[in-house]
Amino acid sequence: MSVHIHTIKEQVFDTVSEPAYVNIESVSLSLSEKIILKDVSFSLPATGISSLIGPSGAGKSSLLRCLTSLYDNWQGTILVAGTNTRAWLGGEDDLRRHIGLISQKPAVFPASIYDNVIFGLSRKERKQDQSSRVEQCLKQAALWDEVKERLHSPANTLSVGQQQRLCLARALALEPKVLLLDEPTASLDPRSKQLIEASLHDLAKNMPVLCVTHDLEQAQRLQGQVIFMCDGKIIETASANDFFQHPERLETREFLRWSVCDCD
Amino acid sequence: MMKLFLGVLALPALLLPLACFLYIIVQALPALNWELIVGSNTAGNVFADAASAGHGLWSQISGSLLMMFLACLLAAPIALSIALFHALWASPRQQRVLMILLQVLQGIPPIVYGLCGLILLVHLLHWGISLAAGGVILSVVILPLLSSNAIHALQRIPIEQTEAAKALGLSSGMIITRVWLPAAWSGMLTGLLLAMARALSETAPILFTATVFSGITWPDSIFSPVTSLQTHIFYLAQEGSNQHAVDMAWASAAVLLTLVIFFSLSARFLRRYEESV
Repeated sequence: MSVHIHTIKEQVFDTVSEPAYVNIESVSLSLSEKIILKDVSFSLPATGISSLIGPSGAGKSSLLRCLTSLYDNWQGTILVAGTNTRAWLGGEDDLRRHIGLISQKPAVFPASIYDNVIFGLSRKERKQDQSSRVEQCLKQAALWDEVKERLHSPANTLSVGQQQRLCLARALALEPKVLLLDEPTASLDPRSKQLIEASLHDLAKNMPVLCVTHDLEQAQRLQGQVIFMCDGKIIETASANDFFQHPERLETREFLRWSVCDCD
Repeated sequence: MMKLFLGVLALPALLLPLACFLYIIVQALPALNWELIVGSNTAGNVFADAASAGHGLWSQISGSLLMMFLACLLAAPIALSIALFHALWASPRQQRVLMILLQVLQGIPPIVYGLCGLILLVHLLHWGISLAAGGVILSVVILPLLSSNAIHALQRIPIEQTEAAKALGLSSGMIITRVWLPAAWSGMLTGLLLAMARALSETAPILFTATVFSGITWPDSIFSPVTSLQTHIFYLAQEGSNQHAVDMAWASAAVLLTLVIFFSLSARFLRRYEESV
């Protein structure tokens, strides 16, 4: 535990004193007899951004899939708001509405921008006028100004950066309580990246946001908590300032310097 | 040089079907007329002059189309279920076994299906020579083709869309109805049209199970026999000494070929549409 002098922005994302909303306890996963996750444990505070970093193949995306039960053969315990996800009332589908997941490659459905935003809503909700919800979600995803004149245009006419923000708006329309993002800005231009990061900062005021990223500079910009994974294990977890300025583990220092990790 | 060489090698593949088609049309011309197509075989003697005796191919055309539609009606839901099982629940090993099974079923000679239909449906179940027996056997014949097409249509849906739908908390049923079917309908319809063309082309399976030569204009029930273009050609071609019968056989072949080409080209256009979307 460390006490820092924060700017106002940093105070919002200080994760240290926040109570945990998501607890991941000793989670392990094997796929096709290959070990993907080994005894992974960490927690996400009720608000603020956590960046999950690590080299390719570290198990970051797999961990997100375990959190949303897209993989179901993991061992260990995942508690969301104190409830074990294995015993989630309403089942996996309800859990996934509770935990929004945005993948690396934006996947818009062949429908209008408006219909994409409300895609995850129930049939009854979709039949009602959702204009205000669509506007709110698109604003939260920093896309409203760019699409407000063409909400009924096909979503696939948007640029990749806009599609990624549309996916964010679509996830937000379900009013998730946790947001997971799997390298959301990996293939985006600097402006789209900046807009998404700004959205994440805003969203993190009200919910835990876990963002997988390869981009160390982005992890620094996002602030909050940094979780470093390598070879399916958690190597180090610290606040962004501590992690980048005073890394404790040798593996972390190597990764920060050379972007490689030899943790066998 | 290589391009020219390959072009020359490929030439027979292009010219032979065209030559066959033109030859059939030329041979059919003496008997082809509108009355032949829309007229029914009411007189019972098809070897007499077609137009004057009121002989037409309408009964055969409708019989072929009835069997084709019945076969598709039976096979399409099963094929869709197989494709959904393959996509949703089958393990990789089960998927491999299923694909091998479909390939094996596609390789079985249609006459074998016909023989099975004769024993099982016509004799054991006492359905008799009937539209139902023909439809069921044809549905078995086209099932592997339909299933493979449905499986491939689902496989062409980007995995990201399925994952995104799952991440939004959509149930399997909602993913099928809201993501997969809208994305795969054109591919599945293409497969259905190809299966229709295949059902129209098959003769052997219905020869034993569904068709009679003449005397039927429209089946009284699903358990009545029908006439069909395919078997009509078969019967008429055996009357080689009767010029009118031979002309009628060519005309029937031309009509059948036109129907098959219609369904095949529709499938082709649909596939192009699917690729352009």
